[in-house]
Amino acid sequence: MAAWSERLAGIRGVLLDISGVLCDGDAGGGRPIPGSVEAVARLKQSRLKVRFCTNESQKSLRELVDTLQRLGFDISEGEVTAPAPATCRILRARGLRPHLLIPEGVRSEFHGIDTSNPNCVVLADAGEAFSFQNMNKAFRVLMGLDTPVLIALGKGRYYKEVSGLMLDVGAYVKALEYACGIEAEVVGKPSAQFFQSALQEMGVDAHQAIMIGDDIEGDIGGAQRCGMRALQVRTGKFRPSDEHHPQVKADGYVDNLAQAVDLLLKHTES
Amino acid sequence: MATRRALKAVLVDLNGTLHVEDAAVPGAQEALTRLRGASVMIKFVTNTTKESKQDLLKRLQNLEFDISEDEIFTSLTAARNLVEEKQVRPMLLVDDRALPDFKGIQTSDPNAVVIGLAPEHFNYPVLNQAFRLLLDGAPLIAIHKARYYKRKDGLAMGPGPFVAGLEYATDTKATVVGKPEKTFFLEALRGTGCEPQEAVMIGDDCRDDVGGAQNVGMLGILVKTGKYRAADETKINPPPYLTCESFPHAVDHILQHLL
Repeated sequence: MAAWSERLAGIRGVLLDISGVLCDGDAGGGRPIPGSVEAVARLKQSRLKVRFCTNESQKSLRELVDTLQRLGFDISEGEVTAPAPATCRILRARGLRPHLLIPEGVRSEFHGIDTSNPNCVVLADAGEAFSFQNMNKAFRVLMGLDTPVLIALGKGRYYKEVSGLMLDVGAYVKALEYACGIEAEVVGKPSAQFFQSALQEMGVDAHQAIMIGDDIEGDIGGAQRCGMRALQVRTGKFRPSDEHHPQVKADGYVDNLAQAVDLLLKHTES
Repeated sequence: MATRRALKAVLVDLNGTLHVEDAAVPGAQEALTRLRGASVMIKFVTNTTKESKQDLLKRLQNLEFDISEDEIFTSLTAARNLVEEKQVRPMLLVDDRALPDFKGIQTSDPNAVVIGLAPEHFNYPVLNQAFRLLLDGAPLIAIHKARYYKRKDGLAMGPGPFVAGLEYATDTKATVVGKPEKTFFLEALRGTGCEPQEAVMIGDDCRDDVGGAQNVGMLGILVKTGKYRAADETKINPPPYLTCESFPHAVDHILQHLL
């Protein structure tokens, strides 16, 4: 592989995944990954632009940012690209009235959205609310529509909590897709549109931006398809087999965010 | 048609072929008795995810069919056989009523997942447990992969979507054991000394019964009872070996032409 200085040449902006890069989540709020609090602070003191890009759909943006601040991170709501606000914009623009299968924590994001007589289904990482009954309700709404519209806040396979790996919303998106013979519209990584809106909000072109994430397909593959570079951290849901993924090859693998920031500061701040 | 070997076995579907719900197909009991007069082995084969062999046997005996338990082969039997063959300890995501068919199978400290139609198990903690087993390399065995089915209160999701979700999350493929999978028909004949070319399958489902059986080299006879709808026989290629009114007609044909 080429030298780091070559691989990181011209980088002006950094997109950071949250879960598995900044912290490992759990029901009680999670814990920071060692070195990540300081790494974010150092990055924000540098000349590099920074933005957070997450598929988090269990909590509202407010709650997510509160949690991260409590863990010591320098982060504010305006610095985060998250799927729920993006979904609301889509619903409003297309006059869609969703049946919501979402966790209670994120419901406040949909305040003011008309949910009467639904003409689409919105699926977020509902966790325990993914009961058979709730899935079947969503299934019946879709089967009752002439043109079923399923909007998914992310399509991740799994994520890591302190207790271990957890099924993510993707498995449930797939279940409804299979049951109804349809394909979901994904709002969130790895959708190109989602990465592009994060880049726009950061004000950096794709070829000058780098994504740092723990998901070889959602973060690394998705960012690279948008023309960005991408580093995979060996934290969070990272598994050793990711480094031999048949389709996706990261621009580099680093032990954690702290190491990624070391490299970025060393090779881009000249 | 290529020369066939002498017929040794007859496979018969249950619901829709021998009986429709709680009523026997007219003349089916007598037809079965006539078939037993010939020297062929008979197996009753069905896709079920919640009825144990004992439940099926009870219903058939109530309808006065002369059948014994060891002649019944179901998708649950196929799953059990696969579990035994692989020597794994399954986490059983099946209806409680199906559990008798897994009697004696070790299920503690599981290293495999068997999934049927079990809405009561399709909740997050249970599926997450299954997901973690699969990620650790446990095989996923699906009784079948139906998308949905009709319930009294409307449509309901079948096991297929949940199998598909687990396959997606773990990047693995389930082994599906029910009809029309080839393994189902081959398993039904296992240990009988009978080759597929020496067997005929009678059923009311053109794809699952007839198509599936013909795919492994059996003859397939489609009966126009149960779920049969006009022109079903045109839905598979090659078409059924024979399409006839009902089970008794199928038996007549076998006795006159295949023995």
